[in-house]
Amino acid sequence: MEYALEIKALRKEYPGFTLRDVSFVLPRGHIMGLIGPNGAGKTTVIKLILNIVRPSAGEVKIFGLDNLRHEEEVKSRTGFVLDETPFYGYFKVAGAASVIAPFYKAWDGARFEMLCREFELPLTKRVNALSRGMKMKLALAVALSHGAELILLDEPTSGLDPVFRRELLERLSGLIQDGRTSVLFSTHITSDLERVADYITFLREGDLIFSAGRDEILEKWAIVKGGTELLDEKTSKLFRSVSRGPYGFTALTADKEESRRVLAGRGAVIERIHLDDLVFFLGREGQQKEEAARE
Amino acid sequence: MLKILRLEYLLNRRQILIVLAIFTAYFAYMVSRIDSPRVFVVSTCIMIGLAMPFTILGREDKFKTSAFVCSLPVRRSTVVLGKYAATWAAIGLGLGYTLLLAAVFPFSKIQVAEILTARSLFVALFLISLIFAVILPFTIRFGLVGIIILLVGFQLLGILALILSHVLGGANNPLRVFIRAVAGGLRTLLTHEATPGFLLALLAVGVAVSAASLFVSRALYVRRDF
Repeated sequence: MEYALEIKALRKEYPGFTLRDVSFVLPRGHIMGLIGPNGAGKTTVIKLILNIVRPSAGEVKIFGLDNLRHEEEVKSRTGFVLDETPFYGYFKVAGAASVIAPFYKAWDGARFEMLCREFELPLTKRVNALSRGMKMKLALAVALSHGAELILLDEPTSGLDPVFRRELLERLSGLIQDGRTSVLFSTHITSDLERVADYITFLREGDLIFSAGRDEILEKWAIVKGGTELLDEKTSKLFRSVSRGPYGFTALTADKEESRRVLAGRGAVIERIHLDDLVFFLGREGQQKEEAARE
Repeated sequence: MLKILRLEYLLNRRQILIVLAIFTAYFAYMVSRIDSPRVFVVSTCIMIGLAMPFTILGREDKFKTSAFVCSLPVRRSTVVLGKYAATWAAIGLGLGYTLLLAAVFPFSKIQVAEILTARSLFVALFLISLIFAVILPFTIRFGLVGIIILLVGFQLLGILALILSHVLGGANNPLRVFIRAVAGGLRTLLTHEATPGFLLALLAVGVAVSAASLFVSRALYVRRDF
């Protein structure tokens, strides 16, 4: 299989935070969602891919090329939207594009103008005067105007209204139809990913919890509910992040089939999982581990 | 590199015009008060050597766009090279402009022939290279705060030198000998006969210092996280 992005044992050490040996791959022509609670390391991963921060260890390959050794080539084939959109504020939208255009051989000015019209971005307005959502649209228009084969989006939907968010997701789905373009998409809005992502990578406190196909995740993981009498040694091994309440427990399982087999006929309910549940339960599991470590 | 130069030009063109307007007022006052070409050359170099890097390198800091530039398809070492080239171009412009001002101002006390000489030009470039070579790596690494750290550091060093000189006492304590040697060196620089060998040596030292500064800046910038 041909990969748009290969990350191997990527490590970044900051005071108070370490991204620990993260490895995952994104096959060409697919969308991957990067999810996790705040401070999980999602933005760090995207910055490492773009070489905005330097890795402490590990490697990043884009289209099979090392992102540090072939920096210019891989970046000319990569589009990005960062969480904070740092454009030159006093330029007008058209001016900002003219500053960026010479850096990309495949820059398509007509496409940029068309996207601006589509996104209702006024070309003559100063970037400083744009709202956060409009700046995000500008960053998107730039990212989509030079034929990028890998698009990195860090929280692109934050600040966007629901209508445009939906349009953006449809556009992303459309982009990958050529089988050439791939998208890595970090977000807190997991419902967006359920709509478009083929792969999900979950980070928590700098650790990679999993990276797998969306269907595989939805197939394997589930929410289990039942009476607390079901929580014994055998079932506890199957559950993660167990929450006990006055009427029973709710837990996350990474092995739906085994849970179904073990709990058959014992009054437990096994529900389909949503990515939102996964972020919630795995995030809470992290907090519980942290609290346990402190004690 | 040309892309970075173009970017710097677009970013700084307005700012450079503002700086040149300030220079006009400042140097108009200065040339009407100072009649020593040596004082004029040294103060001009300090002014330009500080103002131009501050102007050029401050823009990225102001707009917080360093991360954005590093995301574009360009090597970090090229970004640094572009910044050096842009700052040198701005320095050349500033220097040419102030020398011209000194020459054409009707109420200037400085004789045109005394400042528009090969020695003035080479000494000016040499002094600016020294200032520039120290300032740029700090700015490349720490942004505008780097210049402030450096200037405050020099101030503190000056205060420390004064205190030490006072504590050590005597006209020939090592610190006073050192300060006299520096002052003597600067005087020699400004009065030395402009032989081709002297000018060439000035040029060679200026180029070597700038190259070393560029080397350090590149090493710092490629390791910088944004």
